Amino acid sequence: MQTPLHLDPQQAFNEVAAFQRKLAAGMQNLRGLGEQQYANTPREAVYREDKLTVWHMQGGTKPTAKVPTLIVYALVNTVWMTDLQDDRSLVRNLLAQGEDVYLIDWGYPDGADRWLTLDDYLNGYLDRCIDAVRKRHGLDAINVLGICQGGTFSLCYTAMHPEKVKNLITMVTPVDFQTPDNMLSQWVQSMDVDLFVDTLGNVPAELMNWVYLMLKPLRLNQQKYVGLVDILDNPAELKNFLRMERWIFDSPDQAGEAFRQFIKDFYQQNKLLKGDLQIGHQPVDLGMISQPVLNIYAVQDHLVPPDASRALKRQVGTDDYTELAFKGGHIGIYVSGRAQREVAPAIHQWLRERS
Amino acid sequence: MPDQANDFLKDYQAFAQQSWDTWMRYLQQPPGVSAPFGFAPPPAPPADDFLTRSLASLQAYGSWLQQAAGAGATGQFGNYWQQPAAVQPFLAAFNQPFAQTVAGLDSASAFGLDQQWRSWLQAMQRSGLGGMGGMAAPAPMAAFGITREMQLDQQSIAAAMHEYAQINGRYQTLLQQVNAQGIERLQEMLKEHSEPGKQIESLKGLYDMWVDAMEDAYAKMALSDEYREVFGALVNAQMQVRKLQQQQTEQICRELGIPTRSELDSLGQRVQQLRRDVQGQRQQATAAHASEVDALRAEIAALKRELAASASPKPAPVRSIKSDDNGKHSTAAPRAKAAGSASAKRK
Repeated sequence: MQTPLHLDPQQAFNEVAAFQRKLAAGMQNLRGLGEQQYANTPREAVYREDKLTVWHMQGGTKPTAKVPTLIVYALVNTVWMTDLQDDRSLVRNLLAQGEDVYLIDWGYPDGADRWLTLDDYLNGYLDRCIDAVRKRHGLDAINVLGICQGGTFSLCYTAMHPEKVKNLITMVTPVDFQTPDNMLSQWVQSMDVDLFVDTLGNVPAELMNWVYLMLKPLRLNQQKYVGLVDILDNPAELKNFLRMERWIFDSPDQAGEAFRQFIKDFYQQNKLLKGDLQIGHQPVDLGMISQPVLNIYAVQDHLVPPDASRALKRQVGTDDYTELAFKGGHIGIYVSGRAQREVAPAIHQWLRERS
Repeated sequence: MPDQANDFLKDYQAFAQQSWDTWMRYLQQPPGVSAPFGFAPPPAPPADDFLTRSLASLQAYGSWLQQAAGAGATGQFGNYWQQPAAVQPFLAAFNQPFAQTVAGLDSASAFGLDQQWRSWLQAMQRSGLGGMGGMAAPAPMAAFGITREMQLDQQSIAAAMHEYAQINGRYQTLLQQVNAQGIERLQEMLKEHSEPGKQIESLKGLYDMWVDAMEDAYAKMALSDEYREVFGALVNAQMQVRKLQQQQTEQICRELGIPTRSELDSLGQRVQQLRRDVQGQRQQATAAHASEVDALRAEIAALKRELAASASPKPAPVRSIKSDDNGKHSTAAPRAKAAGSASAKRK
């Protein structure tokens, strides 16, 4: 039988030496690179409240869409994943298609926000953001594009305020929080969330980052940086890498009460799927969603498994439900080359058919 | 020849370690300092800075490369199938990068409680509240005297820390199992690469396969019921320690007249409730105003309709032509005009 390792000792030493050489030569390139900027697509603040801002994103030409689309991002990480860099930007691609795009930047909660509940976020902040955009356009209803946890929020909001949403798009959005392959869900099932929030108050961003790194500890905390050595001599790729690093670790703390309710009601009790959810005093029944729904999920998503998203199909009340399976992961759906070619055009086409 | 290879390996490892240390010192200096190897390096700053910790994973990989290359130099690659035992030290080299990665993550996260615990102990001992010991089981001493309450608090914290240490031990055992299962998985995967053309021909290729194997083993463990139970218990135990520490800190703060976090939280909660109430009242007021305005608009519209109806052209009055005594003709003024004028005034 042959050995599976066909490693020539001299070649192995050469490999080690090459690694050391690359590391030594490349480390100098890290000096002076500074903080990498996001795409910074031109934008105008149209509504502010506490720490949140609603931005009107501006493309090179006037939008052709008659109904604007508001992007609702998750409370974890920041919305700038949708506008990461010039050639990797969902926002820019949507603008180029003629869509009129707004987005909510939730800001960075601090101790003053510790008591914000999901009711405050959804029936308060989000409702007023949507009202602000509706008022600007003189419309009864606008399009909403919810991402990840923001997608879950968008579903809840639409179920509670159906008259204000014309079309609903969800991206990598969990609906069934207890699929067997959901690692995050597994980990929180035995957690005493009350003790956790009562002790920590707001949940620190560093802790959230730790949890995400522990989903794939070697890939995300070692192999990735081993790969970095290979691009240390490529300034463009190095900048892209550092920009992504900035986004990954540029995380807001989580408002304690909202976190408590999200973990309890969604992850531990799966109330959205079971139809038992209440936000404030309002019941959330996904069956109330009768407007067109486009549900986009990533087939290699390690944070929101595809089955967690696909569960939406059985829950919504609409007859106009469309699913789009993207061949990529939770982040690749925004930043990969394939995403630039496929996602925004698909959203635009779907909206145009319903305008 | 093997001796030559070993000598070379030792020299090379020394050189690589020296390179690494020099570069770490260089990176930890302020900008403007010249590159290494040109001048004598200045004294090294404390090793445990943020950059060093971030690069620990790279260092782990570098160390593994050297060990793996060393194993290759002593012929262990070729002995893999003939003498599986001979390859164990080579595979064991993978233990370090895994342990280092997990430990690095642990100490960099909020879960790095051990260090905090040591700091806490030191602080308590300096303030005369020592006597809790390390992570040993809590002493069964009955509390009495004027410091009775403090003794009980300390015992509670020590007991919580003891429980945390025990659960952390279980957690570390699971991670060690992942390591062992990952190596087994790697061996299975290697078997699938025995055919010519499928063989692993670089250390990086082998490393990537090891990562795949470890992630497979880790995912299996992380989705297991046992891991779920231990992970939850670990988080809960740590929170219990922190909670008790906070309570004791607050007690000290109260005695010193320093505002506490509980007080701040309480204020924050009240403020948020007030904001909700104000927002709710504003919405109610807006809704009330809106309905009032709607009612007024409806009333005005009704009045307009009424007036419009009364002002609408009526059949033209029949003009009566009268002749006066002189035979001249005169026409009577139509009433509608007068009514229209009055309506215009009211508007």
